[in-house]
Amino acid sequence: MTGTGIEVTLKVREISGQNPFLCMQCGLCSAGCTGKGTMDMLPRQVMRLLQFGSGKLLDERSMWICTTCLTCTARCPRGIDVARVMEALRALNQRRGVSVLAPADLGAEILADVPQMALTSAFRKLSA
Amino acid sequence: MSIPYFPGCTLHVKAKALDDSTRAALAVLGLELSGLPEWTCCGTVFPLARNNYIGMVASARILANAAKQGDGRLVTVCSFCYHVLKRVNHAVRNSDEARTKLNDYLEEDYDGQLRVLHPLELLRDEVGFGALRNRVGAGLKGTRVACYYGCMLSRPAAEMDFGDPEDPAVMEKFVAALGGEPADFSWKTKCCGSYQVLNEQGLVAGRVKDIFQAAAAGGAQVIITSCPLCQYNLEAHSEADNHSRIPVLYFAQLLGIALEIPINKLGLAGRYADPEALLQGARR
Repeated sequence: MTGTGIEVTLKVREISGQNPFLCMQCGLCSAGCTGKGTMDMLPRQVMRLLQFGSGKLLDERSMWICTTCLTCTARCPRGIDVARVMEALRALNQRRGVSVLAPADLGAEILADVPQMALTSAFRKLSA
Repeated sequence: MSIPYFPGCTLHVKAKALDDSTRAALAVLGLELSGLPEWTCCGTVFPLARNNYIGMVASARILANAAKQGDGRLVTVCSFCYHVLKRVNHAVRNSDEARTKLNDYLEEDYDGQLRVLHPLELLRDEVGFGALRNRVGAGLKGTRVACYYGCMLSRPAAEMDFGDPEDPAVMEKFVAALGGEPADFSWKTKCCGSYQVLNEQGLVAGRVKDIFQAAAAGGAQVIITSCPLCQYNLEAHSEADNHSRIPVLYFAQLLGIALEIPINKLGLAGRYADPEALLQGARR
């Protein structure tokens, strides 16, 4: 999976079960996004690039900023489960060994403190 | 009445206060929770990629074992556990493929008929908010409470069935039953940043700031939640952003206070934002 062009769009469609071409670019997903101040590319833009068939999407950081809070999913007037689209982008990266969180990244202090659920959820979503 | 209960890994250790206060408060109301004889972590997150059944195995095993208790119900209180168990249960019940694959893998025969319940639902449907009102003292009368649902309890609405995905009301009704006043709180179903505390601390700090600001704007004297990760994120970033020093409690702790349970049974000592003022009000 080289992640070029329309291949990424088709793979995302297959893995997420969502049709990116339903998106009408209203931006409700971006407006309510938990990570909107941190993402390089907002969910609406991610959807647009999927429609264009842009393989460089896999190198953007947005999918790793997503907190899967499902606000976008709840609000999309076209019924797209945008969180599933983000998950599909993560999955494509994870399958080629790309991820953003490694156990070695975590300091002893936070490990002593943080609830177990944060570790399990973060590694499931953010590591390969 | 004893009901099968899944505490989950975080409640076993880091969020013991949520486990303790939930059990203690429900026991006072005649609902005994009996922990499942065997359990593992629920998996914490629901897999959003299609056909990722391996991500549902842990929850499916818990559900299959809970069904063998014969009660027909499974209570769980952590927002993550509740979210994942309820969604996996929904998948087993409604998808032939999910049911077949998970049962084949686990060598079980579970049909998804269990009802996965949050204690707030038990309080509403088994105890009744009207009856609850008659059980509590006047200690919390007029206390302004921000009901923080976070992201996991109410979405997606079709699977969680917890009220409006962005404006659920059960926690406000619970607060009113305790004699408190639900504060206006526009951030009640917004996300605190969740597991990004391990990857994007700045994001979490920003969301926590928004949450405290919204709670303060509504005049809240306390924020309640049922999520150990929300509780952790809010308290961990509290020093910088919680100028009004609003304590963040579990809803079950607030219930315990209202029921006049001794605070050493509610895990209320040693917190960053001290709930002492609240407790003094309750003791008055």
